[in-house]
Amino acid sequence: MDAGILLYVLSLLTVGGIYAIFALGLNVQWGFAGLFNVGIAGFAAIGAYTYALLTTAGSSYHLGGFGLPLPLGMAAGMVTSAFVAGIIGIVCIRLRSDYLAIATIGIAEIIKLIFKNETEITNGPRGINRIPRFWEHFSEERFYSSWPLSWFGTPESWEGFFDHLPNWWWQPFFAGTVLIVMLVIYVMLERARTSPWGRMMTAIRENEPAARASGKNVTARRIEAFVIGAAIMGLAGALFAQHLRLIEPTNTFDPSKVTFLVWVMLILGGSGNNRGAMLGAFLIWTIWSASELLITGVIDVLIYTFDGVDMGPLRTRAGFLRMMLIGLLLQVILQKFPRGILPEVRPASPKGIKTKSAG
Amino acid sequence: MWDSFGFEFINFYFIPGLVLGCIYSLGAIGITLTFGILRFANFAHGETMMTGAYLTWTFMTLCSVTFGFTIHPIIAAVPAAFLVMLIFLVTDRYFYRPFRKSDTIKVVMASFGMMLIIRSGVQMIWGPNQLTFVPGIAKPNPVLKDWSSSIDLLLLIPNKHLFIFAGTILSVIALSYLLNRTRTGKAMRAVSDSPELAHVTGIDVDHVIRATWIVGGACAMAAGLFLAMDVQMLSTTMGFRMLLPMFAAAILGGIGKPFGAVFGGLVIGLAEELSAYPWIGDSPLLSPGYKTGVAFAIMVVMLIIRPQGLFKGRAF
Amino acid sequence: MRRKFFTTLAAMLCSSAVIADVNVGNPMAITGPIPDLVAPMVKAIDLAVKHVNEQGGMFAAGESYNMVRADTGCDPAGAVDAVTKLINVSSVSALVGPVCSGGTIAQAQSVSIPAGVVTLSVSASSKDITDMEDGTDLVFRTAASDAYQGVALANLALAKGLKDIAVSYANDDYNAAIAEVFTKAYTSAGGTITANEAHEPDKASYRSEVATLGNTSDNLALFAYYGSSGITIMRNALETGAFASFLGADGMLSDEVIEQIGAENMGGVTFTTSASDDSSVGYAAWAAVTEGSGIENIGGPFVPNSYDAAFMMALAIEKSGSDNRADIAEALRSISKAPGTVILPGEWKKAKAILANGGDINYEGGAGPHDFDKNGDVMGFFSQSSVVNGAWSATLIK
Repeated sequence: MDAGILLYVLSLLTVGGIYAIFALGLNVQWGFAGLFNVGIAGFAAIGAYTYALLTTAGSSYHLGGFGLPLPLGMAAGMVTSAFVAGIIGIVCIRLRSDYLAIATIGIAEIIKLIFKNETEITNGPRGINRIPRFWEHFSEERFYSSWPLSWFGTPESWEGFFDHLPNWWWQPFFAGTVLIVMLVIYVMLERARTSPWGRMMTAIRENEPAARASGKNVTARRIEAFVIGAAIMGLAGALFAQHLRLIEPTNTFDPSKVTFLVWVMLILGGSGNNRGAMLGAFLIWTIWSASELLITGVIDVLIYTFDGVDMGPLRTRAGFLRMMLIGLLLQVILQKFPRGILPEVRPASPKGIKTKSAG
Repeated sequence: MWDSFGFEFINFYFIPGLVLGCIYSLGAIGITLTFGILRFANFAHGETMMTGAYLTWTFMTLCSVTFGFTIHPIIAAVPAAFLVMLIFLVTDRYFYRPFRKSDTIKVVMASFGMMLIIRSGVQMIWGPNQLTFVPGIAKPNPVLKDWSSSIDLLLLIPNKHLFIFAGTILSVIALSYLLNRTRTGKAMRAVSDSPELAHVTGIDVDHVIRATWIVGGACAMAAGLFLAMDVQMLSTTMGFRMLLPMFAAAILGGIGKPFGAVFGGLVIGLAEELSAYPWIGDSPLLSPGYKTGVAFAIMVVMLIIRPQGLFKGRAF
Repeated sequence: MRRKFFTTLAAMLCSSAVIADVNVGNPMAITGPIPDLVAPMVKAIDLAVKHVNEQGGMFAAGESYNMVRADTGCDPAGAVDAVTKLINVSSVSALVGPVCSGGTIAQAQSVSIPAGVVTLSVSASSKDITDMEDGTDLVFRTAASDAYQGVALANLALAKGLKDIAVSYANDDYNAAIAEVFTKAYTSAGGTITANEAHEPDKASYRSEVATLGNTSDNLALFAYYGSSGITIMRNALETGAFASFLGADGMLSDEVIEQIGAENMGGVTFTTSASDDSSVGYAAWAAVTEGSGIENIGGPFVPNSYDAAFMMALAIEKSGSDNRADIAEALRSISKAPGTVILPGEWKKAKAILANGGDINYEGGAGPHDFDKNGDVMGFFSQSSVVNGAWSATLIK
């Protein structure tokens, strides 16, 4: 039982961390540049599918068998996501907020449609399975038989080694990797925020005509922010694919799971604040996950007390109740705490510059 | 049977396209009114449409269970319509009104949240599995079939589609009367063009807003009802599935122009169905899986080249 | 107050993994495209659990046999998610289920095989499951592979005089697999496949697909789940009169189809499904134990198979002496075939006594003898059904 709780906490950290990366990406687009992107699911899908296609074994159902190293697959996910975002940005960046929202949500649906229909490449609705999970992949035969592991031992010795490990050995490593990636991105974004670029983004967001008047290329900066945010989302998508090990175009990237949750996380945590983004992500994910256990527990207790009454429907509908409560939570936050828990750090000033004050 | 001239084209592609177009039109009217008068994209519109259909089903089932006979959907739709309007008014009062003076983004976010709340609500109350709306097969109307084959055509149109066409035409006529002949309608048009000016001339903007939700509710109810009648089944994804094409129709026609929305809806519906027709050679022009992408592609093109839509609605 | 809150919280968190019970995971497609088919299967499983617990429970201490049920939605991702939670959070010893082939394959590849947990599916019939494993022996099923059903259906088609047929299949692991078997068997037996198209499930209208296929033949072989596309395709086809006869398999055989389409429109419809030989001893015992149990249609698709799977899992765990994951596969093989005293549905007490004395047993279930071959597959029968007087009427295919 103890291992169970530990594993549960690890999974909270892992998935919370992945969502935190999504939230950081969204913060670049929304918090820095004021872009209302409701198509997060689309970039997640691009990152996930790129990673999956480049790293899964060869299969008759979908493109595969490239045998590329996993980090390269993740980097590729970032690049493709950024590339698509660039194209979208050039076309749509000038759209006003709700138009941009409609456009991005539509684009996300189109992206999913493409993944669904190009069956030759992606296996269509059946999705891509057995996606290698970083660290766990070492215990799979095709990985320990090739470099780098083959430098350190024969396939047989590795097989014996892995057989002796408990089957959850990889989880702490994977969680650690996700958290490290999240922290690296956080540090980079904080640097960007306090840099001249970051201050310019704030200026553009706050007062666009003034920024234009002082000669800033608003459109280019906006596209930059969009692309950078999308690249981060692509990376998160690749990590998400590793967490799930199976992705498919219809339900995995459902806007209500990916897009909506990330928005709630950012708004709750504090849009415009990178720490807020991460805090919101862990908080909302823990609430989401723990509430499921809680509700299951409550239902189990109810079933035990009312023995004989068919409680089946209660269980299946409990999930929808959770979604509804999260929706209501968003409304409450929007009305009562629009700034979120951690307010935006204003103005974005670089540390270390001491202003000379009198005395 | 399958060689009469144009048989396939008219009956399997054109008529279904027109039916879909009617449904999109009615939904788009509600969206364009909200967009024009309240100035935001209401993401919850599709889900409310769906709720109307589910409520109609509930009333129909209640009737057949308590009284033992089945009533026509249109009768059950009346109480459902009142509930739909109520839903719109309540959500406006508690979730959208606080943001009247704030940035659009807040109210759009709120409507996005509303979309999820309503959908979860429907799933909780009616369950996630599909429900039968009208059982059985809709056979083509025999009168129409005989008449058309006598003039060497062959129209196979079931009664439900004829009903949808008639219903749409009546709704559009009623809407036209409302907007052009009644005071409320004219006030609505005034607020849509310029709320500040309308306020100055003494128009009660709150009253107009309520009227918008009511009219929007009626149109959403009609759209939901016709969709349920056509597909004969209810599922919890039908709202979101319709939402994007309806936005596309509203944008195509021009934001704030209800008749533009009607036109836009028909164009989008026809485009979707006709895109799968084998125009060239034997296989469909566009794989049927991409049908839903057609509406969106049209919308993006409009946004780039002519954001005020075909009928010169508000641009951004 | 604080302490009470935390202890209650801990109790609730732990409640789904109660210690000192034998916990077996039960991922089922409770919601999704075939809820009507799954509901009686769930009841059958509950009946098996009841028999075990009422007749002495597990092991000498009489521990409770517990099915931890989870909903997969007949969706591969849903199955992976549900099974991950069952294995990691609820710490189950083995799995009875899933229902759908797509889910079974997905969760086995991603979760249960890497974790070393036995899967005993109640109804997954895709032929791809036979060769799925490479070096492990963890996937079993109480349902016969569609490799046979597809052939039976093809022969049925030709016997009915349908010389050409168009094929439409939903693009998932189950339907695509049986469509493939059918097409191969049909062509090699001399029939002509005039069109063979995948369709995407959960669409509101399939008019374009029906139009394209209808052009080619008067007959349709439809491989789909009734809830996600089957009913809609049939409706669109019947509206336009595109096809005169319809053939199909398990996923379509539900009363919901008759209710939605209307019995009067179902003249040319024949579906096959997995069935049980009702002349066997096992089936007679099954019929006896289900009296008064509230399970209607005891011969329904995979209903006796579900009971058998749940019962056999209990027998296997009892035989292995503990609820350790590692020993179950071997025990499962041992209790499923000779040598050993024959055990029929409902005979838990008898089996327990024999096992306590170190003896062997051989379970013969309501759905068949369930002698697992080297791939974890079993043999089975099929029946064909058509609508007679407003309800499905089945005849066994020998």
